[in-house]
Amino acid sequence: MGGALRHVFIASLRRRRLATVLSLLAIALGVALGLAVQLIHNAALAEFERGVRILAGEADLQVSGARGGFDDALFLQLAAHPGVAEASPVVEVHAALPGREGSLRVLGVDVFRLAGVQPALLPAADGEAGMLAALAPGRIFLSPAAAAWLALEAGDALAVQSGVHEHTLTVSGSVPAAGAGQVLAVMDIAAAQQLFERIGVLTRVDLRLAEGASPVQLRRELTALLPAGVFVEVPQLALSEAATMSRAYRVNLSMLALIALLTGGFLVFSTQLLAVARRRQEFAFLRALGLPRGMLYRGLLLEGAVLGLAGGVLGALLGHVLAVLALRLVGGDLGAGYFDGMRPALHFDALLTLSFVALGVGAGLAGSWLPARSAATLPAARALRAGDDALLHMRPRWQGVVVCALGALLSAALPPFAGMPLGGYLAVACILATAVLLLPQATRLVMRLPGSPRALLWRLARARSHAAPGQAVVAAVGVLASVALASAMAIMVSSFRTSVDDWLTRMLPADLYVQASPSAASGFLDQDALRRIAALPGVAQVQPIRAEQVRLRSGGAPLTLLAREVGGGWGLPLVAGSLSTGEAELPPAWVSEAVVDVHGLATGALIELPLGGQWHAFRVAGVWRDYARQHGAVVIELETYRAISGDRRANDAALVVHPGVDVAVVATALADAFGENMLRVATPGEIRALSLRIFDRSFVVTYLMEAVAVLIGLCGVATTFAALATARRREFGMLRHLGLTRAQIGRLLALEGALATALGVAGGLLAGGAVAWVLVEVVNRQSFHWSMDISVPFAMLAVFAAALIVLAALAARIAGAQAMRQSAVQAVREDW
Amino acid sequence: MKVGCLRMTAFWRLVLAMLGAAVPVALPAAEPAEGAAYAPVLPGRQLVLPADGGAHDAHRTEWWYVTGWVEDEQRRARGFQITFFRVRTLIGEDNPSRFAPSQLLLAHAALADPAHGRLRHAERAARALPPLAGYADTHTEVWIGDWSLRWDGERYLSRAFGEDFAFELAFRPTVAPLFNGDQGFSQKAADPAHASYYYSRPQLAVDGTVHVAGEELAVSGSGWLDHEWSSAIMPPGAQGWDWLGINLADGGALMAFQMRAEDGHALWAAGTLRASDGVQHRLGADEVRFQPLRYWRSPRTGNRYPVAWRVEIAAAQGRAARVVEVEPLMDDQELDSRRSTGAVYWEGAVRLLEEGREIGRGYLEMTGYGERLRM
Amino acid sequence: MLQVRALRKAFHGSAGQALFGGVELDLAAGECVAIVGESGAGKSTLLNCLAGLEPVDGGSIRLAGQELSGLDDDAWCALRRRRYGFVFQAFHILPHLNVAHNVALPLWLLDADERAAHGAALHMLEQVGLGGRGEAWPAQLSGGELQRVAIARALVHGPALVLADEPTGNLDPARAGAVLDVLLGRVREAGAAMLLVTHSANAAARADRVLRLTGDGLVAAEAP
Repeated sequence: MGGALRHVFIASLRRRRLATVLSLLAIALGVALGLAVQLIHNAALAEFERGVRILAGEADLQVSGARGGFDDALFLQLAAHPGVAEASPVVEVHAALPGREGSLRVLGVDVFRLAGVQPALLPAADGEAGMLAALAPGRIFLSPAAAAWLALEAGDALAVQSGVHEHTLTVSGSVPAAGAGQVLAVMDIAAAQQLFERIGVLTRVDLRLAEGASPVQLRRELTALLPAGVFVEVPQLALSEAATMSRAYRVNLSMLALIALLTGGFLVFSTQLLAVARRRQEFAFLRALGLPRGMLYRGLLLEGAVLGLAGGVLGALLGHVLAVLALRLVGGDLGAGYFDGMRPALHFDALLTLSFVALGVGAGLAGSWLPARSAATLPAARALRAGDDALLHMRPRWQGVVVCALGALLSAALPPFAGMPLGGYLAVACILATAVLLLPQATRLVMRLPGSPRALLWRLARARSHAAPGQAVVAAVGVLASVALASAMAIMVSSFRTSVDDWLTRMLPADLYVQASPSAASGFLDQDALRRIAALPGVAQVQPIRAEQVRLRSGGAPLTLLAREVGGGWGLPLVAGSLSTGEAELPPAWVSEAVVDVHGLATGALIELPLGGQWHAFRVAGVWRDYARQHGAVVIELETYRAISGDRRANDAALVVHPGVDVAVVATALADAFGENMLRVATPGEIRALSLRIFDRSFVVTYLMEAVAVLIGLCGVATTFAALATARRREFGMLRHLGLTRAQIGRLLALEGALATALGVAGGLLAGGAVAWVLVEVVNRQSFHWSMDISVPFAMLAVFAAALIVLAALAARIAGAQAMRQSAVQAVREDW
Repeated sequence: MKVGCLRMTAFWRLVLAMLGAAVPVALPAAEPAEGAAYAPVLPGRQLVLPADGGAHDAHRTEWWYVTGWVEDEQRRARGFQITFFRVRTLIGEDNPSRFAPSQLLLAHAALADPAHGRLRHAERAARALPPLAGYADTHTEVWIGDWSLRWDGERYLSRAFGEDFAFELAFRPTVAPLFNGDQGFSQKAADPAHASYYYSRPQLAVDGTVHVAGEELAVSGSGWLDHEWSSAIMPPGAQGWDWLGINLADGGALMAFQMRAEDGHALWAAGTLRASDGVQHRLGADEVRFQPLRYWRSPRTGNRYPVAWRVEIAAAQGRAARVVEVEPLMDDQELDSRRSTGAVYWEGAVRLLEEGREIGRGYLEMTGYGERLRM
Repeated sequence: MLQVRALRKAFHGSAGQALFGGVELDLAAGECVAIVGESGAGKSTLLNCLAGLEPVDGGSIRLAGQELSGLDDDAWCALRRRRYGFVFQAFHILPHLNVAHNVALPLWLLDADERAAHGAALHMLEQVGLGGRGEAWPAQLSGGELQRVAIARALVHGPALVLADEPTGNLDPARAGAVLDVLLGRVREAGAAMLLVTHSANAAARADRVLRLTGDGLVAAEAP
């Protein structure tokens, strides 16, 4: 195409500023969200990878079990094995920090053995601390990120919790090679074992192979030495584990971003389609001047590509900004809790950025493809004539409807692919496509409905929609898509929230809950502490809960093992099986739904759990719903656990108070007895409130994306009506001549906008219901392994729908304001 | 490289800490457990072998130090050295953890090969954690992983290896032990508080194999073992020491050392001279004098070492005065750890000459010639 | 220069009913022929057929000896770019290009050098009395001025044949006269032939010949 001729097309974009800007913004938002999700996730994974590499160092193999660790006598055997050149023992503790949020990952290491395997973890003593500080108890070395997080420097004191006691450590130097993003601390292994009461326990041993040793052979030999639940693995496994762990979440977010992008592409389509309709004469004239079809086609594609490119570039910028903000404000896992203890930093990835810009261009091209094709096949002679109005016609495509509907049904029934609910996403796409394809017919049907067409404006609006349903459909489709997604998400979130609320109620039957430290950290309740709690006035019953981790197989994510009382009214939110323990030959275990999905277990099945270094068989007595532990949890009776493991500690305790006793008084007594910072005491109400707050926070990103989708939908209405209003200036001029007031024309536009939007909203709500079902039953179940009861937030959806229609009417009217500003005389006379 | 570097950091910090003020280094701020203290070194104790060949872990530091000369079948002479240190840290003695670092073990080995021109050396460090690293207190036995030194009733057996060398040597005593100082009570300063228990095994018949430069060589020669333990060895004001242990060709042995002040003058000196007839002479502080003869400047560190000495042994009853000279196997036997800690000293194989004639071979150790350490 | 023989065109969509038939026309270089006729007689369609914008149902069109009927779309496009100039009743000035760019458009289509095209456009604008208005936007111009821009555009690339379809149809009589002056003057100056479809007797009177389009073809019209 002639260089100068590009002006003809590109300049046209400049002229339709509103539509251009909105389409561009839509693409930019889609690109930005998608890119941000990827960037953040890549940053988090890269930092995680660095962490794994620093921790594994030059290790060829790692021996690790669950968080609870294993007997450290194993280390002596491993280190003495002839195939092992170097062995470095680690006891890892997540130290609760009294008076601070969060826990600090403390690695108890042997400095003499680090050097050969994980040199990056070597502590560097501060000059003042002396040379043996790396061995001394009461000394701790902070990575640069940990020092920054805690705002501590060498010589400062750091309080840590062990059991229900507070200990003060002196920051004696740093872990200089730990990298900028790793929040961790190092201390002597013996000191750590003693301080955190983990004498005789290791959590990991990193091994370097002797020269010439075969890793496969060595793994086999070492495996024979390992107790139950402890595995020898290559360090890379941890990486793929982390990637898998967060994959479903990331794919979910990416899908939302993709949908935003899709909506952006659709917006390009609708504006280009309308622009083509409006520019028929222009194109006909250019054809008359001798512009070949192909060039016209390419020119229009170029317009879309330019829009897409601008949107893509803007989106790439915005994406980086978003990613930086998100990393700073919410963290690398966007608040989902997959990557704790890291401060990931953003890295510019040219290829990734370019591919997202390309996606933007793709959306622009795809959006203008059909309009360009229709423009190129325009009969030029007819369009040249003045006064040939642009009418869009759309026919329902029944084959498409059938194919899409069937596709939705079939793909919803597909099993997960590599842990990702791809079938679910496909079903969502099919549902949307079905709804979009059905919309023209639905519009026609609605317009045929006998109403009360007495009012002039209503009659005009309806006549217009009936004569040219295409325009209404184009506006409605954008609304439909965004409403479908927003309402689906709203229904899903509402179902989830209601189910979580209900679940919490059933999980928390006691009056008061005592926790030594959040989940995995270093606080615990020993027998003495439990006795002291039981002895407090007003306490009727103390129910200890022990939470441990177990790994059932190499490479698998750890399961949470909960040892607690199940009978006696303590209950479990069962979805299958029963609480009765019966007279079975094997002790009972109750597994969460995730265990059922991941390990393929069902009620009555046998499950082997590694306890105290041995495999112990349990019978699955029931399946319960668990929203707290995505990788699955197993509940066994506390007595069984204690008898097998000899471990009499507890992480939490549930208290029942005597009737009439104020729980607040008991809570105060607990704080007095153990110290303000040692125990977290909460009523079920407080736990529920906190849990739901965390729940809501983790959906912030989802809400954000929903808002964007709705915004893009509204943009669609605005651009459509802006374009329509411009195209119909003459019609409005004529109506003004016939005596309609300016306000009436405004109302007419608003009415048409409301009508189109109402159609879109109605379709969107129906499609949204279907999509919500897929999200709940397929996507969530396959991604996160939890079931929920569908709960539709009718009132909220109604308000949302009404608000959207009003907003769309406003948007249509504002967009049309430009058209109404013109004098009627000029509008009638003018051709353009 | 980085790994080695860092490993040496840990090693040398501990070595230097253990040696106390052998080089001017701040002592570790160890935090002793309540009531725990090092066993004192007192005169009058009778040392008994093999029991005293084992570890004395109530004392602060202890070392077994084997040096010597070997020749391969082509009569190429090389010096070797293998040392095991034990340090009681007073850390974690109340800690039931098996990893409690109350006793640390360090080892160092070096091979002086004139064909190579400088030392090959390697080191190991670990907390005592049997069976991976440990020591016996009934006889000489100390090991860190594959490195070991062990008395099997007749011989000391040793093993050590680095990246570019390895040796496996056996040492058979041919003469009686040499109890230095007063029956093994070896004073290091005028104040008897600075003293050690110290005996030597001179005239050890060495045989075994050395792996070096891709060759496996059968070697034999003569060696010297020092075993010394103490709780406070270095007197205040000492900058370093010079130590000499020589197997005399006539079957005798000479051990001598001096403690140097910062300006180089001797704060204290002592020695033991055993004549070929087995008669042992204890050399007092005023009976042995070290005089530098020749200096060598290290091209790496710029440090200047007196690599050749004249040692004067005063006449005493039943003993004529002697003047001997010390000449190194090669000048460059400096141990350079500047990249990690800056700790630099000279330790190497030497010949002993009297009136220009070689009368013995052994080892010379010189510390405290470097700059102040940057810690 | 232009020879049309037995040109036939049926109503759109109905093969049987003829819009016009047997159109015969000879147009010499530099000649201006006006075509008049009743509304719906197919005057505009005739022009479209002669420009290849609408297919014909029979007959022959020869331009400078080259047979045009049966050319494909791309060939027609190339021909229109080089040899044709158009002036429409509805101006068809692109609102998103300034006046000079609008005039330069045919040269752009011919892949002319952008600066040369701009110069030619400015020169042409001077010729039609719009010197110095090159940077103006179409919205700032009156109807008469817009049509002059269209005339400049029709002639900027030196076409052999100018097809003008009711060029004064949207203008008041005073302006119409002035625009017609410019159109005829410039076309003659350029030595191009012109077919002028018009309702206006005044306009037709200024042509060299006047033909009336009927269902049977073109017949000479009596002077008004």
